[in-house]
Amino acid sequence: MSVLEFDSVTKAYGRKKALDNLSFSLGENKITGLIGRNGAGKTTMLKIAAGFMKETSGDVRAFGEHPFNNLMVSANMIMIDNDMNMPTALDLEEIMASAADFYHNWDMDLAKKLFDYFSLNPRQTHTGLSKGMKNTFNAILGLASRCPLTIFDEPTNGMDAGVRKDFYRALLKDYIAYPRTIIISSHHLSEVEDILEDILLLKDGQQFLHMPVEELREYAVVVSGKEEAINSWLRGHEVFHKSDQAFGRSYAVIRNDLTDDQIGVAMKSGLEFSTISNEDLCLYLTSQEKGGIDDVFNKG
Amino acid sequence: MYLTKVSLLDVVAKQFRFKLKSFRGMFTSLMLLQVMAILFSLGGEGGGGGGSDTFSYDMKFYSGNIIMAFMLIWAFISAIVVTTQAYRYDDYAFVANRLSSHLANILFLGWASVIGGVTFALASQSLKLSVLFLKDREFIESHPLTLLQMTEGLAATILYLFLFTAIGYLVGMLVQWNKIFMIILPGLLFGSLFLNVLLGSESTFVIDIGQFFVRETSFLLFTLKVLLASALTYGIAAWVSNSLEVRK
Repeated sequence: MSVLEFDSVTKAYGRKKALDNLSFSLGENKITGLIGRNGAGKTTMLKIAAGFMKETSGDVRAFGEHPFNNLMVSANMIMIDNDMNMPTALDLEEIMASAADFYHNWDMDLAKKLFDYFSLNPRQTHTGLSKGMKNTFNAILGLASRCPLTIFDEPTNGMDAGVRKDFYRALLKDYIAYPRTIIISSHHLSEVEDILEDILLLKDGQQFLHMPVEELREYAVVVSGKEEAINSWLRGHEVFHKSDQAFGRSYAVIRNDLTDDQIGVAMKSGLEFSTISNEDLCLYLTSQEKGGIDDVFNKG
Repeated sequence: MYLTKVSLLDVVAKQFRFKLKSFRGMFTSLMLLQVMAILFSLGGEGGGGGGSDTFSYDMKFYSGNIIMAFMLIWAFISAIVVTTQAYRYDDYAFVANRLSSHLANILFLGWASVIGGVTFALASQSLKLSVLFLKDREFIESHPLTLLQMTEGLAATILYLFLFTAIGYLVGMLVQWNKIFMIILPGLLFGSLFLNVLLGSESTFVIDIGQFFVRETSFLLFTLKVLLASALTYGIAAWVSNSLEVRK
């Protein structure tokens, strides 16, 4: 059974399409990383999945039902994001008690332990917390509610490095004990990729890639060498990114579908192969134009 | 992992419990308003006096009218506050849909009306006591009430408060739907008042609507009128909210 399914979903704000014919399907009990540049449509997609917003066209299914304004989906889903609203009258302890009332699977023991570990103050109000503390508290809500569909939209914003590491570790441990479908959107792929199984890459509101993280590691390869040699060799290959470096050398990221013959030819003309980190690869895959920030400063 | 089955009533009950805690600030403001209203009422609402060569007298009326007016405004404003974005989004931090959210709000505002009604009865007693102890008096005439009258008075207070929460809820939703209502609604209210004054007519549109309830002599019919009007108003508010996003 697929927990979340998008079928050619479009969401338009006026003329701008935040999601453009997006289709994908997430299987049960997987941790999926949602990656994309600013404005790629990540948050829009998550809010539609959570039933907060209505798609303009297309079909969305969560647990087989349309999530918008749906009580069953709401009871089995939690979305943790940076602008979560909490009543100003309640302190953190009371908010946790309320969450326990609402969510069937809520684990108060885990919540309390995490709460103490991150040294939050039960008498504090939610609005009184700093940005990092607020997101830490929200993350605790997300973990302890144990919802079959748990969505984290950039959960680690504002957290310090130690808390981030602890959070991801806590997430992984709790996931192993209580498997569920988790979606994490993040700008920092290198931070999360160790706990991800699948990766969903969005670009301009469309699905660009959806594959296991392991496959992504094999997806592309870096070729570097003399500029002329590279330019002639690259013909016929799918190039994701190319940039010129100093001393007439060039650097290209290409699709890893090379045959042994092709590699042999390349080695002969003095080209070198190396691997690329997933984070850098995703950056290149989703960059808007050829070239990069350097071109802004290059005159002529 | 298995899915949780939920029933609407169950969620509404949970949200109601949640709102009792998270909207408790409303009752603090209720207390403050009542204290203020009692202080204002101590000045008396009217009176007169007279005398002759050999004696003179002074007369003053005291009543709970000011307290009641404050409470109606409180009911109206509280309902508007409930419809604001921050309060609506609070629901969606946890389990909710629009219907459950409206039902829980109506339930809560009904509960607030009951609390308002009971505390109003107590506050008007406190006013009587204050007058008794604080004021110089030779002679006090109080309007005696039978138990039935008191019960009806309490019920009517609660019903009026509930009607005002319904109006506030609709006004709040209209403003959330389109900010232009922030200008249109006061414009209509004051416009109708001024227009009537200009035309020299005695009644105004707003008062005419009020007469529909105030003039009713049968308590049963009055209850029916208020409940139907509130249900209609809440219904329109719920319908208006359908064009709002659930949460952004």
